[in-house]
Amino acid sequence: MKDLKARIEKLKRDFDKALSGVKDEKSLQEVRNIYLSRKRGAVKLLFEELKALKPEKRAQAGQLVNSLKKHVVAKVSRLKVKLAASKPGVRARKGDLTLPGVRGYWGAPHPVVLFQQKIENIFIAMGFSIEEGPEIETDYYNFEALNFPPHHPARDDWDTLYISDDLLLRTHTSPVQIRAMERRKPPIRIIVPGKVYRRETPDPTHLPMFYQVEGLAVDKGITFADLKGTLEHFLKTLFYEKLKIRFRPSFFPFTEPSAEVDIECLVCKGKNEQCRVCGGSGWKEILGSGMVDPQVLKNVNIDPEQYSGFAFGMGIERTAMFAYQIPDMRYFFENDLRFNRQFSIK
Amino acid sequence: MKISLDWLKDFVDIDLSLSVLINRLDMIGMMVEEWEEKDSDIILDIETYANRPDTLGHLGIAREIAAALGLKMKKQEWPLVELEQKTSELCDVQIRDADLCPRYTGIVVKGVKVGPSPDWLRKRIEAMGLKPINNVVDVSNYVLFSTSHPIHAFDLAKLAGRKVIIRRAKAGEVIRTLEEEDVILTSDMLVIADEERPVAIAGVIGGLKSSVQGTTQDVFIESAYFNPVSVRKTSKKTGISTDASYRFEREADISFPPQAALMAASILTQFGGKVSKGIMDVYPKPKKEKTVILRYQRVFGLLGLEIDEKFTEKTLSHLGFRLEAQRKGVWQVKVPHFRVDVEREADLIEEIARFYGYDKIPVHFPPLRVPEPPLDEKREKIEKTRQLLFNHGFDEVLNFSFADPEREASFQTGREAVEIRNPISQKASILRTTLLGGLLDNLVWNRNRGAEGIHLFEIGNIYFWQKKKTHEQLTLAVVATGPIGPAHWQRKTKEADFFHLKGALESLMSYLRYEPFSFKKTNHIFFEEDSSLALAQKGETIGHFGLLKKGLRDRYSIDGPVWAAELNLEVLFKKKPQSFQYVPVTRFPTVTRDVSFIAGQDVTFQDIKEAVEKLSLPYLASFDIYDLFSGSSIPKGKTSLSLRFEYSHPERTLKAQEVDKLQKKVIDTLKKSFNFLLREGGKIDK
Ligand SMILES: [Zn+2]
Repeated sequence: MKDLKARIEKLKRDFDKALSGVKDEKSLQEVRNIYLSRKRGAVKLLFEELKALKPEKRAQAGQLVNSLKKHVVAKVSRLKVKLAASKPGVRARKGDLTLPGVRGYWGAPHPVVLFQQKIENIFIAMGFSIEEGPEIETDYYNFEALNFPPHHPARDDWDTLYISDDLLLRTHTSPVQIRAMERRKPPIRIIVPGKVYRRETPDPTHLPMFYQVEGLAVDKGITFADLKGTLEHFLKTLFYEKLKIRFRPSFFPFTEPSAEVDIECLVCKGKNEQCRVCGGSGWKEILGSGMVDPQVLKNVNIDPEQYSGFAFGMGIERTAMFAYQIPDMRYFFENDLRFNRQFSIK
Repeated sequence: MKISLDWLKDFVDIDLSLSVLINRLDMIGMMVEEWEEKDSDIILDIETYANRPDTLGHLGIAREIAAALGLKMKKQEWPLVELEQKTSELCDVQIRDADLCPRYTGIVVKGVKVGPSPDWLRKRIEAMGLKPINNVVDVSNYVLFSTSHPIHAFDLAKLAGRKVIIRRAKAGEVIRTLEEEDVILTSDMLVIADEERPVAIAGVIGGLKSSVQGTTQDVFIESAYFNPVSVRKTSKKTGISTDASYRFEREADISFPPQAALMAASILTQFGGKVSKGIMDVYPKPKKEKTVILRYQRVFGLLGLEIDEKFTEKTLSHLGFRLEAQRKGVWQVKVPHFRVDVEREADLIEEIARFYGYDKIPVHFPPLRVPEPPLDEKREKIEKTRQLLFNHGFDEVLNFSFADPEREASFQTGREAVEIRNPISQKASILRTTLLGGLLDNLVWNRNRGAEGIHLFEIGNIYFWQKKKTHEQLTLAVVATGPIGPAHWQRKTKEADFFHLKGALESLMSYLRYEPFSFKKTNHIFFEEDSSLALAQKGETIGHFGLLKKGLRDRYSIDGPVWAAELNLEVLFKKKPQSFQYVPVTRFPTVTRDVSFIAGQDVTFQDIKEAVEKLSLPYLASFDIYDLFSGSSIPKGKTSLSLRFEYSHPERTLKAQEVDKLQKKVIDTLKKSFNFLLREGGKIDK
């Protein structure tokens, strides 16, 4: 037994000596095999020897052999990690942990979609659902049902791209409101995002196609106060809690009373008369809104004596331009990745 | 609409600082967009609305301000120097179409000395941004901008037979306008004519021949109400839009023609004119004032606010409405003719709210009585698609729906494009029939700005005619070229290739639970021959992907390979995804078996996969290919492929012999079906 113990101690010392000379993984593997090879390794051979011992001695001897095995396994694996860490590349700049890490790479969402989802999420939290509809519309849904009589000059404010006498590219997403009201009974609480079209030549503030989000709530007892409450909450969530907001009378054929919603100029907060963003007024127009015109409700067979509603709409690019101080609306459709990718961290 | 502060003061005494006045105007909906100082006057530019033609003159704006400030309007006097002769002795007015011209008034001013306007008049005309012409023309403009009511002055001597006939034009009649343009008239247009010919296009523009010139002595002043739709149609058809037609098409005040005529006549007497006795007023069917019932309880119902009844009465009276209490809380309201926009109770409630102040209406949140339906599945699928493509390194883009028909033709989609009748340009005159055109434009744009790796996708509609109806088809398209992600000092960057794109589509189909899906070898017009596949789900083709055809790359001047895909999401998303079911995880270990073959190169992975699936081996948990190569160590024309099989049993540990048996079955099948040779430890087993 003493003999075995001494042999094992020597094996450990020999192993440590051999290991100190190891410089790469290949020689490490060789040294390891001397001791741990399944067929001819020292550990294996020792275990073979143990078979000849009497059972009462075998357990004790087994522990001694195992201690050798543990010693070898632990030192080999420790050295293995060390060698791996000093592989070529790393070795060249040993210890420079300031080198860039391996970042994941992923694509970026388009800023308009990002901003649209931001808007959608605020309204979803307020119990709104999302409706969509066709981009190619009939004159009826785009104009007549929304209380634009044929040949009324109000149509001039919605310069239209026509497919035929009756078909056009929708100038707003309001036709989807009409379709929703035709299909559903109140209460209705929807927002309608989507592409809209105008006959405009592209310039920094106009595009022939842009994105809108419109909203509609119809129920018994909906008031102008509800409109104000909903939009104020929306704007304060989208921008910030202390945002100054004003509602000012306006005109849209499909709402009565109608209101334009202004928010304080995010750039000068009304403190610069020469401000290029707000023209010195301190206000920036952000939403059109109003109480649904009784004629519009009648057009979809909702009794305006029983029900009332509010509607609102905003341009997504315009709002994003204001929020981030983007000077030119055309940037959104150039799809320059240096522009688009910036917003993914927003 | 330009509004002079001096001019406003003719109607109402305004004693406010400019900033307070502007704010007051903004808050009653008369938004001041800009203002400037001009000749010691202030000129405001006020935004006006299509339903408020009464605010297209100083009188109307003054009325709004007076109501907002609780001031009285000043009375204006228009004294006349009269002739002995009656108007009817000097001319004859006949309305032949009372639908298009319900009211026509006229008066004659004799002996006017036509010449330059005096300073006060010049200043007013210039304030409106116009050039003074002569005193008679300037007076008509003055009346228009003062009252918003357009009038017209004719040279009486040039009206043949001293007749003023309001009739429809005869088809083909021609008039030379003040702008010296010949206009061919059609029979739906209303004209003012003398005995012989048209002398003006009613409400739109005067004729040259009958216009007031330096030699004119006697002037006939026309002040009328023309049918708004008729004026608009004529203006659109002739392409002539004037300050007059702009107002008539928004509807004039039918009660106002005599006042406007007298005002003009009165000013013309300052230039030596004498006015005929008694205004000629042809008004066969006088229009009654509109009556609207206003219920106090509705005011509250719509605004969510109690407004004092006295305030309601006072404001509406100030604006020219006449209220008669019917019973408690109910008024009958007579609407003045100049308020063409007010027809219903809601219109009156807006007036009350406007002057009460939108800012004083409280803030409230509408109670949610019935929940809204959940988001529809299509939106969820679109969102999953986006997220998955982001993870694969694709950037989202959005492009205009317009396309250039010439470029679009090179894609040969076979889809019948939807044309725009009045496009902004020829290059944007149809709607896109593929998303790839836009994506290739984006690729070129970014490459020209130094980008190397460009991986883009767009989700949006394409448009085409289908069975005589327009169709909007939700589509996904992808383009990819160059390295994926930035270069790194330690890791090698991957390049876009066929399998990069195919992998993204495979992940997408799995992520959307559209398994099983399959690929078919087909040629497609967008792609190089034998370099594309069709993606199909349950036998239906969803789209194609592969190496973009050189011809298309050339069309966009793109060098190097571009991998592209276009999928029909409308068809895909209508399919029912595989229902999700939880599968218990086995508590027993998985057994892995690898096997390598030497295979002929005509065997596809799809063939192998189908052969393995056909065996439906029990306990086979997964099967994949993990290595593939050919080269010097492999016989010519052959490929080495390595397959990995994983087996597991839900209730016990699998025995080695069991797995060996299954594995043998696979190996034998593959050897037999495809003439595979087993390859072990570098040796090939015959
Ligand atoms: Zn500002």
